[in-house]
Amino acid sequence: MKQVWSVIRREYVERVKTRAFILSTLGMPLLMIGIMAVVGFVAFLSEQSERQIALIDLNGQLGERVQQALDRAGYDVELAAPETSAEDLDQQVLDEELEAYVVLDDTTASEAVFRYRSKEPPGSVRSQLMRSAVVEEVVDLRLGQLEDGESVRRLFEGGSLEYEPVGLDEEEAEEAEAERITGMITGIAGGLILYIMMLAYGAQTLQSVLEEKQSRVVELVISSLRPWQLMLGKIVGVGAVGLTQVAIWIACVALLAGLALPSLIAAASDFEELAEFRQYLPGPGAVLLLVVFFLLGYFLYSSLFAAVGAMCRNLQEAGQTQAPLIVLIIVPFMLQMMTFQGNSMPWMNWVALFPFFSPIMMYPRAVMGDVPAWMVAVSIVLMALTVWGAAWVAGRIYKVGILSQGNRPSPRELLRWIREA
Amino acid sequence: MTQNGTAVRLSGVRKTFGAHTAVADLDLTIEPGTIYGLLGPNGSGKTTTIRMMMGILLPDSGSVELFGGPPDFGRRSRVGYLPEERGVYEKMKVLDQLVFFGEIRGLARSMARTRAEEWLDRLGLGDWASKKVQALSKGMQQKVQFISTVLHDPEMLILDEPFSGLDPINQDVLEEIVLEEKERGKTILFSTHLMEQAERLCERVCLISRSRKVLDDDLKELKRRERSGVVAVEFEGEAPSVAAWPEVLDAQQVGDAFHMSLHDGVRPEKILDAVLAEGVSLRRFELLEPRLHEIFVRHAGDPGDDDAPSETGGAS
Repeated sequence: MKQVWSVIRREYVERVKTRAFILSTLGMPLLMIGIMAVVGFVAFLSEQSERQIALIDLNGQLGERVQQALDRAGYDVELAAPETSAEDLDQQVLDEELEAYVVLDDTTASEAVFRYRSKEPPGSVRSQLMRSAVVEEVVDLRLGQLEDGESVRRLFEGGSLEYEPVGLDEEEAEEAEAERITGMITGIAGGLILYIMMLAYGAQTLQSVLEEKQSRVVELVISSLRPWQLMLGKIVGVGAVGLTQVAIWIACVALLAGLALPSLIAAASDFEELAEFRQYLPGPGAVLLLVVFFLLGYFLYSSLFAAVGAMCRNLQEAGQTQAPLIVLIIVPFMLQMMTFQGNSMPWMNWVALFPFFSPIMMYPRAVMGDVPAWMVAVSIVLMALTVWGAAWVAGRIYKVGILSQGNRPSPRELLRWIREA
Repeated sequence: MTQNGTAVRLSGVRKTFGAHTAVADLDLTIEPGTIYGLLGPNGSGKTTTIRMMMGILLPDSGSVELFGGPPDFGRRSRVGYLPEERGVYEKMKVLDQLVFFGEIRGLARSMARTRAEEWLDRLGLGDWASKKVQALSKGMQQKVQFISTVLHDPEMLILDEPFSGLDPINQDVLEEIVLEEKERGKTILFSTHLMEQAERLCERVCLISRSRKVLDDDLKELKRRERSGVVAVEFEGEAPSVAAWPEVLDAQQVGDAFHMSLHDGVRPEKILDAVLAEGVSLRRFELLEPRLHEIFVRHAGDPGDDDAPSETGGAS
């Protein structure tokens, strides 16, 4: 057992030290923050820089309203006198004294159609902002002319579905709602984490096995270790690297929720809504269940990936041979995406019992409360049995495979390996 | 530790790969505490034989015994094995790698580290301990691998072509270590295609050619049996015309020396009488033993693939 520990440590330390690990661990959150920041900044910049816009109102009712609306949206709008000639404004645009000017006329007052005159077409952010500002003002103006304008105006707020829980008081209902959202967030995040871990770290197990086989280091190692010890050490070591990565990500989220968020809220009251985010973080039960599903799912797939690595001579061969495993991981993920979009069907709960699909399909269902507890229990038992069987088969393939330098075995040879190992 | 019985015993071992017979009907026995050389040209089946001893390959027929039983895990772990393929974890640091191998062979971490450092210093790699293995030359990597073989002080060393790829200085260092380990009571089996090396180190040799065993004997015994009866003589000053001496069948000048083969039944000492009669001074007189290479060629034809320069004659 001491030797297995050495293998685990080697696998773990050598992997955690790699640039790839550090980059992918820190890179993921940074990348997401970075993308959000860049997108926001670019949109902000492009709207800040060129804002000299004139407004000419031929209808006479909308000018000031639209000017104020655009002002609120952050544009610097100058209302031109109605008698200003179009030629004059065009000239200013050509001379680049003015970036653009907007013409409001009778059609604008009736249909919210307005002209935007400029050398360049407006960007998508600008056209969206301007259009909604003008529409809003036109609607406002027209409703003001109606007798029951006020009530019609409310229609435009989109209506509302007011859920009234039967048999629950208000407080209980709020709790239930919070729980539902928590389940949803936990389910989506957990499903995604399981998917990434099984795919990425399963593949790393394969790679690690293949490297040792190709470099023949395995011949040195195997004189001191039993094959199953080496395989176990490898799987646990690579898995620990994966857990480390997830732990770092979770810590980042916790840090964000615990430290960054309160100070952000204190700094700008606009972010107050974000405070609610904290109440949706999953409880220890959901995290524990995630660990259970992770362990079972990861062991299931990584032992099979290890067997594939032992069967093959190079990465190309391994790429083809691992295809069935990849499909087994991707199919439940796609089914799960349908569930997240609200397209779950009752039969999918039964599909989620299939052990190879369970990590990705059963975990989110469990935390979202879509399936009864007994189903989750059955799924865990089925997975445990499958892990046991897969480890047995994979161990035998691994034992023969790592020392065989011949062709990839045919299915029939593979059966012989499993029988005779 | 006590060593009862043989270290390695192969009987009737046969291994084929498809249509190619790698090893045919091989019997060999390695006694504990000896240096045993497995000799033969490239492709003659040495590595396959060794891999079967280590349980990496299973023979098609015949039996392989390591320390009196099948080469299972427990027995394999008593061997320090240096494979022919120089497998290393290229991205690991030298010292880390050695500590890892020491650990999986049962050493405590601190012990593995101490020993690895000692060995690195001894083999002149002390400055490379914290470099990645891939930064080392092939020869250095080989030394690192050799260290990982001996680090846990196993009772037997099985070294597949341990000297190939090393420069002469490092070959000497390694030879010295091998002899030292033998002095410490270890059994050592190594394979080589360099006859000269085997000649210097081995007590017993097994010659393999084209998958078959050609010879398997104690080296001294073998040489005595294969003695050619050639006498080498070097004279001070002017050499007499030795070819004309009645005892001499044929004489060839090799450098300053004359290599004389004698007529049947002529004892070598007779040459000394002839020298005395001639009145010349001797610088050297030697009964030439056959080189292993010659013996090999005599029994198996030219090994052909031999990297070493031809080494007939010129003994000293």
